[in-house]
Formats: sequence, C-alpha cells, structure tokens
Amino acid sequence: MFLAWNEIKKNKLRFLLITGVLMLVSYLVFFLSGLASGLENLNREAVDKWQGDGIVLTSESDKSMPQSSMTLDQLDDIEADNVAVLGQLNAIATSGDIKANVAIFGIEKDEFIMPDVTEGEAFNGENEVIASDSLKEEGFQIGDELELSSTDEKLTIVGFTEDARFNAAPVLYGEMATFHRVKFGEAAEQNDDQINGVVLRTNDLKSVTDNEDLETIEMEEFIQNLPGYTEQNLTLSFMIYFLFVISSVIVAIFLYVLTVQKISLFGVMKAQGISNGYLSRSVIAQTFILAAVGVAVGFGLTLLTGAFLPAAVPVSFDIPTMLLYGLVLIVVAILGAVFSVLTIVKIDPLKAIGG
Amino acid sequence: MAILELKNVKKTFGTGHKKVEALKETQFTAEKGELIAVIGPSGSGKSTFLTIAGGLQTPSEGDVIINANNITDMSEKKRSKIRLKEIGFILQASNLVPFLTVNNQMKLLDNVKKGNMTKQELEQLYEDLGISDLRHKYPADLSGGERQRVAIAKALYSNPSILLADEPTASLDSDRAYEVMELLQRETKNKNTTTIVVTHDTRLISYCDKVYKMVDGDIKLEAKPVEEEIH
Ligand SMILES: Nc1ncnc2c1ncn2[C@@H]1O[C@H](COP(=O)(O)OP(=O)(O)OP(=O)(O)O)[C@@H](O)[C@H]1O
Ligand SMILES: [Mg+2]
Repeated sequence: MFLAWNEIKKNKLRFLLITGVLMLVSYLVFFLSGLASGLENLNREAVDKWQGDGIVLTSESDKSMPQSSMTLDQLDDIEADNVAVLGQLNAIATSGDIKANVAIFGIEKDEFIMPDVTEGEAFNGENEVIASDSLKEEGFQIGDELELSSTDEKLTIVGFTEDARFNAAPVLYGEMATFHRVKFGEAAEQNDDQINGVVLRTNDLKSVTDNEDLETIEMEEFIQNLPGYTEQNLTLSFMIYFLFVISSVIVAIFLYVLTVQKISLFGVMKAQGISNGYLSRSVIAQTFILAAVGVAVGFGLTLLTGAFLPAAVPVSFDIPTMLLYGLVLIVVAILGAVFSVLTIVKIDPLKAIGG
Repeated sequence: MAILELKNVKKTFGTGHKKVEALKETQFTAEKGELIAVIGPSGSGKSTFLTIAGGLQTPSEGDVIINANNITDMSEKKRSKIRLKEIGFILQASNLVPFLTVNNQMKLLDNVKKGNMTKQELEQLYEDLGISDLRHKYPADLSGGERQRVAIAKALYSNPSILLADEPTASLDSDRAYEVMELLQRETKNKNTTTIVVTHDTRLISYCDKVYKMVDGDIKLEAKPVEEEIH
C-alpha cells in the first residue's frame, strides 16, 4: 500500500484518468443493471405479487397464459395448500383521450391473489376494477370509466394497487364475472366456468395434478416463458458481462503501460532485494484503490441519476445486485493487473540497473 | 571468518569469437570491518565483479558465499532475500524511486525489512551527508550529487553487512567525495561491516584497508596504501 499510495499521490492526473474510465464503465454497468431489473419488473411484478409457488395451465398452452383455457371443474384434479383461479386477457383501455394497453385479471376476491388496495377501495360488484398505479401516472383516476377495445362493456376504476404490471401491461383486477363479460360478451353466462389458469401455493409442485391435460409450472419458469422476457434479460446481461471484460482489458492495458515504464525502477528495487511479492502486491493494491474509487463514484452517480429520471424510464435499482456487480468490476480490474504482475516477476534486476 | 568469499569464480559473456571473459578465475575474500577499493580501467570487469559478489548475477563457474550462505545455486527468490538482509547497493545508475520523497525512500525499507537504522542514526546520517534539508524532496528535484548522497544514505540506512558501491563519488566534488569516503570508513569500522568501493578516483583509495586492481577481468591485490599519503 505504501508504494501504491505514494505513487498515486505523486502522479495524480495519470491515476485520475484511469479512475475516471473505471467510473464511467461502472456507471454504465450499474445503469444497465438498473434497466435490466426495471424491465424485468415491468414483466413480472404482477406475478411476483401473487407470491405463488407455481401455476397450472393446460398442457397444450405451452406455458403461455393467454393460450391456456380450462374450466372450473378441473379444480377437482388439483391438489395444493392454496389455490387461486385466474382469468386473463389483454385489451386497450380508453378514458377520454388517454389510452393504455392493459391486462385484465379476473379473480376471486377471497383468494390469495387478491391485491392490497393502496388507494380507493376494492372492487365490489359488476365491472368495478382495481388498477395498477402505473396507470395513475398516465393520467387515469379513480372513478374513470374505461372503454375497452374488444367489447362494449365499460369498467370503472375504484382503487389502485402497487407493482402490478404483467408482461409490461398494467393490470386491472376485477371479479371473475366481470372478466367473463369482457371476454365473452353475450355468451358470458354459458362460459362462466372458463378460466385461464390456477395459481398455487404448495411445497410439492410435482404431485399437484395427475391430469394429463394440465401442466404444473414452477413460478420462475412461468416468468421465464413470458413473451420476450428471457430474450430481453439475455441481451442486457450480455452487455453487462461484456462491460466486465472491457473494464478488465482497459485496466490491463493501462497498468501494463505503467509497469513497462517502470521496468528499470522495479529492477532497481529488486536488486535491493525487495521481493516480487511486495512489488506485485503494491500493483494489486493500486488497482484496488483505483477500481474501488471508480466503482464507488459510479455507484453514487447512478443513484443520483436515478433520482432525477422521469418515471417512464423503467429503471429500478436493486442494491444487492449493484453491489455484486461493483464487486465483480473490482475483481476483474484486479485480474487485469495480473499481466503487470507477470511482467514484474520477469524483470531481471541486473538488466534493469544496467550495471 | 570471511563475510564474503568468491571461490574459483569466472564470468564469460557470449560464445565463440564474441566470447568476453569479463571475469577471469577469481579468488577473493573480504573480512568484517574492511573497507576495500577496486580500481581499474573502464570495461575491466569491476561492475561485473561487484554484481556477482552481491548476488545480482550468477557466475559462469565457481561459488559465491555471503555470510556463510552459498548463493550460487540458490533460487532468485532466496537470493533476493539474502540481498535484502545482507547487502547494500550503491549503483552506478540512480537507484531512487521517483515518486517517493527522500524520507519515504527510507520508509520503503522499513516496509520490507527490519533492522534498519534508528531515527537518531538516520538524523546523523542525513547530517553527515548534508541532505537534512532535502528530506521532503522528490529525486527529480535534486541535483545529481544530491541524488547520489541520498542513494548512499539509502544503502547505509538498511545496516547491510556488506556494502557494495559502484562509483559512489562519481558526481561529487572532491571535498564531498572525501567526506563520503570518511563516512563509509566510519560506518565500516563502527558497525564492523564490509564495504567494497569501485572507483576511478585513486585519491580515495587512501581511505581503504585494501586495494584491488582490476585489469582485463583479472583482480589483483595492490600494495596496502601508505597511511602518510593521506595527510
Ligand atoms: N551482459 C553483458 N553481455 C556481454 N558483455 C558484457 C555484459 N556485461 C558486461 N560485459 C562486458 O564485460 C566487460 C566488463 O564489464 P564491466 O561492466 O564489469 O566493466 P567496468 O569495469 O564496470 O567498466 P566501467 O568502469 O566503465 O563501469 C566489458 O567488456 C563489457 O563489455
Ligand atoms: Mg562499471
């Protein structure tokens, strides 16, 4: 640390530059991770809200909720601690000039997927719905009458709930009967046993059903199969991982150049008997200081930016993930220092001092 | 017992018609408390001799024994430890760390080894070398002679049992050169260590107990300098 710190003090500009680059890279990594988890939430928050362990859909639906169509009597074939029936469809909701793509959930009020109301009150009868509070930001209000794209039925917002988007669409929660009316119109009565799936709470997903027509899907797997979810995550993860590699290479190049410049100096110190270990530790310590400072500043800057960002940008900063990524950045930076360590080990003190 | 011993040591560079015998077969011993001068023309092998004696390069043949450690077949790691513990170098080229102040050059040694000078001793050393006022300066802000004196301070600070100095007075004026030689002499006697000084300056050899002359890789003991010549 002694050598490392004194060198940084003496050559401030040089080290400020590399810290600056590391700061920018970490800023980008943190921001992308925020974006990744923001987009993730956008897709899954309504599912996470269920706090379920799994979901039963029809086998032929290929894990896609809209494609799954089952009847209430199939509930008899399902064995779990706690079940909640769910009907779902997507629609465009219009109130005055504002339009929004929404997901309509038909649920039973006394089952566990009933959301907590954060504003207004729970639905209580025909065509009343609780809406995702993200709709509030788009201008929808309690009492609004919503026209729907697929039907003449009109829904009324009676309350809001937090964190309720399903595959990026804000959710409207209503009674099962409301859902049936929206979905089947005139034929609602005949179809009043139609649902899309059954959400489960159970420790034993394997023995939920032995009905061949039904498939039990673990909740995380269900989420992974939401349209676009996995692809989007992979893309962002790939970018983040690539940034790790880039920052490692940047640090490697920078430190290597610094080390090559100091070959004769290292040689002189080695001639005096200062060990490779000490000199290598000093380079590692230096890298650690630079990376830690860069990452810390990048972290702060990210949070600062996040605070000023408009709500429409889907970032959500998951602090544990960010800390993990910060740590990874520091580690890959230190890996970048390995080249320099190898160079130091190879320096022949005699050649360096030119005796 | 000899603190430093070279037995049948030879050093050749290159092969065939390019072969250079930098050091012909050499027997050499140095005792504790001795201040030894090595003189000789440029290219005669003085630096080669010194770096082999200090374990910085391995001889082509023969053994080097430092304080009862035969370093010839040691790994570089072990030799590095011996160098740190036993040897002080004052090199022909500057051996200061550019980003450390004079004081921190010494502190670096505190970081890597024990048994260095005490604060008072260091203070005295600064005084003797006339560098007390330079302690917070960086090497780049020192003159060549000042840098050399700091390098001498650094070598002495680690209390080496063998001090190897390659032209330590080259960029000093003659008064300073005499003072430095006196200092080296005093340190050698007081601490019962061994100092080997390579020099061109024949006036300085009067401070030494023994003088070796190097000619074409051949090292020979000269007649002991006569005490009267000094004063
Ligand atoms: N690494 C090397 N490869 C080839 N030849 C070398 C090498 N090092 C030294 N020599 C040769 O060995 C001889 C002795 O060199 P050395 O550096 O010991 O001389 P010196 O007495 O210290 O000279 P000076 O007083 O100029 O410093 C020279 O002829 C030199 O060219
Ligand atoms: Mg020389």
